[in-house]
Amino acid sequence: MKTDPATLLQQFEPQETKSIVADPQVTEARFSPCGCYLAAGGFDAHVRIWDVSGDEPVELPPIIGHNGWVHAIVFHPTDDILYSADSWGQIRATRHDGGELQPIWDCEHAHDGWIRQIDLSPDGSRLASVGADGRVALWNTADGELIREWSGHGCDVQSVRFHPDGQRLVSGDAFGKVKVWDVTAERSDAVRDMDASTLWLLSRLQDVGGVRLLRFSPDGAWLACGGVTPKNGGTVQGKPTLLVFDFASGEVKHTLVLGEEKDCFLHDLHWHVAGFLIGVTSGTPGAGRIEFRRLEDEKPFFESTRYPNCHSVSVPSDQSLMAIVTTNRNSNGNGRKLDKDGNYAGNNSPIQLFRFGKKEA
Amino acid sequence: MNDNRFLCTPQEHFVTRRRLLGTTAGLSAGATLGAGALGGLVQPAIADDLSKRDKQVLFIWIDGGMSQLESWDPKPNTKFGGPFRAIPTSVPGVHFSEVLPRSAKLMDRLAVVRSLCTQDNSHSAGVARIQRGDPKNRGVTYPYFGSAVARLMGPGKSRLPAYVWVKPGSGGFIHQDAGFLGPKYGALAFGDGKPPENLLRPDSITADEDDARHRLREAIDGRYAERRRPLISDANKYVFDTARTLMDRRELFDESAFSQSDRDRYGAHEIGRHMLIGRNMLEAGVRFVKVNSYGWDTHGDNFNGHLSLMPKFDQAFAAIIEDLDVRGMLDHVLVIAMSEFGRTPRINGHIGRDHWPEAWSLVMAGCGVKRGVVVGKTNELGTFVDSEPYDIGHLFHTWFRALGINSAEAEYDNNGQPLPIAHDDCKPVEEVLA
Repeated sequence: MKTDPATLLQQFEPQETKSIVADPQVTEARFSPCGCYLAAGGFDAHVRIWDVSGDEPVELPPIIGHNGWVHAIVFHPTDDILYSADSWGQIRATRHDGGELQPIWDCEHAHDGWIRQIDLSPDGSRLASVGADGRVALWNTADGELIREWSGHGCDVQSVRFHPDGQRLVSGDAFGKVKVWDVTAERSDAVRDMDASTLWLLSRLQDVGGVRLLRFSPDGAWLACGGVTPKNGGTVQGKPTLLVFDFASGEVKHTLVLGEEKDCFLHDLHWHVAGFLIGVTSGTPGAGRIEFRRLEDEKPFFESTRYPNCHSVSVPSDQSLMAIVTTNRNSNGNGRKLDKDGNYAGNNSPIQLFRFGKKEA
Repeated sequence: MNDNRFLCTPQEHFVTRRRLLGTTAGLSAGATLGAGALGGLVQPAIADDLSKRDKQVLFIWIDGGMSQLESWDPKPNTKFGGPFRAIPTSVPGVHFSEVLPRSAKLMDRLAVVRSLCTQDNSHSAGVARIQRGDPKNRGVTYPYFGSAVARLMGPGKSRLPAYVWVKPGSGGFIHQDAGFLGPKYGALAFGDGKPPENLLRPDSITADEDDARHRLREAIDGRYAERRRPLISDANKYVFDTARTLMDRRELFDESAFSQSDRDRYGAHEIGRHMLIGRNMLEAGVRFVKVNSYGWDTHGDNFNGHLSLMPKFDQAFAAIIEDLDVRGMLDHVLVIAMSEFGRTPRINGHIGRDHWPEAWSLVMAGCGVKRGVVVGKTNELGTFVDSEPYDIGHLFHTWFRALGINSAEAEYDNNGQPLPIAHDDCKPVEEVLA
């Protein structure tokens, strides 16, 4: 029997618990599987780590050695290993257990330039990476050896995800094409393609949008492709959009719009084991949206626009917590803006931590 | 108060090509902007002298604001540096953003100014302010650089319009660019690189009939001119003469004539196609060619935006520099690529950069300009200029000098009012001049 939205809200309405301000900004934050640690990739090439198990977050030494932006991080599902990738093409594996960090391996030139996303196979033995160099690569997580690579996209590959069966991999590119790869076979071409090109627009000279995220439902039956339905380039606007494919047939069965044009990109998505999606959006500075909704519902059962520019959402294995990366308010403005000391200040990334469900009295 | 005696109406020019009919109305309307202005030179001999030379200008206008940090002045691995790497150029020690690989190989032919500090952070005022050189306010509207060059140097021997603009979207006659110089010096814009509509003589009219109509129009115009100020009648005549010239030069717009190799090198995208047409115009002898691209105002998704935009700019820009160099044209063509401002070092919540006139860059090449130089610098974070700052007035002086015009002495004559051709408190950027 289907749970009614009010009950879902009662059960999962997020309650603020802690807040961390990451300065300078970070691209995304991810919980360790146990939910004790939170790691965030920075615009300053650092991976910042906090112990969030206590009453107050405690910042631990960062992972250094990256360059540019640390744009993707993922924790091993069972070992205390964190994998991080940067915009200059490097992937690093680092053991962390709350104590001293131990580098395990790094591949400085895993990609030629910007690594967009990485993902781990469900058993943690393989790491997939995609980049602006057009490559999809598969790595051995134990030693960082390249196992296989595919170049079929021929353009900037923006997103990657393992199927829950661990046998297949999907990748999405800047022009809205999704490719399915068989990671078990010596096959250089894609198993099949799926069309998500409504997430792309050529606006004047600029290719706008692309498949910014890919997420499978826990049972692997659905593949969600997220981004924006672009209206224009430059100052990009458009409605945050999620195309949900029936993975078996490759047909789009649901198209979800998670906001208005000012909300723009669906930046991140978590498919909760309770059967609903958590989506976060970021668009016009100050505009940010969090939505909880089920595929079959017309409306979200929870939505909030309280947090400006939401860039990532993370939920640990036990599904009890949630971390959302945002940007400080008043982050934009033309021309010279100096702080009270006459310095040119940058922006920061407040990271809001939540637990689900109302606290019982 | 405007004097409507000087306004012509479409009916008065019924025999012309349809596209330029609209233009004529625009010209006359534009003339009212500078009512009473006779835009000339205090020293007419300068124009006569310069018209004999073959110096030309390619002005590449990146509308909206190219990020200096994602182009000519990268600050990799710094707080505001963004995700991209810097790559070496053909000049040791000089680096560009990795999204400019082709241009980086041509740095030995370029001159980069990294210390621009200008006055306006809005598009609405900034575009005109920059392209007019931001002179002191003397109660007149100064001409855009293209109009200024058209007035100061004339059309040259080609008989083609002195100031053409290859632009996305629609075309027409952009008389507003001319300011007080008068509408004749406005830009003839070719929308999407296409010639004015209805340029070709219809098959139903023979060449003899067309000539007869032309003579009739000239006779009517002559009578019309007797009752108008020369500014108006000159402008009208200019438009008709231009139309007839372009009728004879239709090949300038024939994209099918480009080799596949050229199409590949410049790119099939908008700026590549338009730059190729711009090359045609330069080769045909057009004095001032503006090629522009829209859509660079990346307040949101700046880095993905530049990752898409910059390689296309890079491809077209590098191709035209290579071609001008190979053809020996860099000796007499001044190339300038710029926007109305740069973009903020600070990265906003939309992962965009806003408008930043405080410290930004432009690139030049060609006649009168040193090769392989970088002038000025910004501080470590790229937030402010850390050398002598240059305003657009300095660049106007520099460009005039590169074209052989002494901007300290040459003046416009605005109906008896002498006006400097560039900001009188600025001077040329000597380090960049050959």
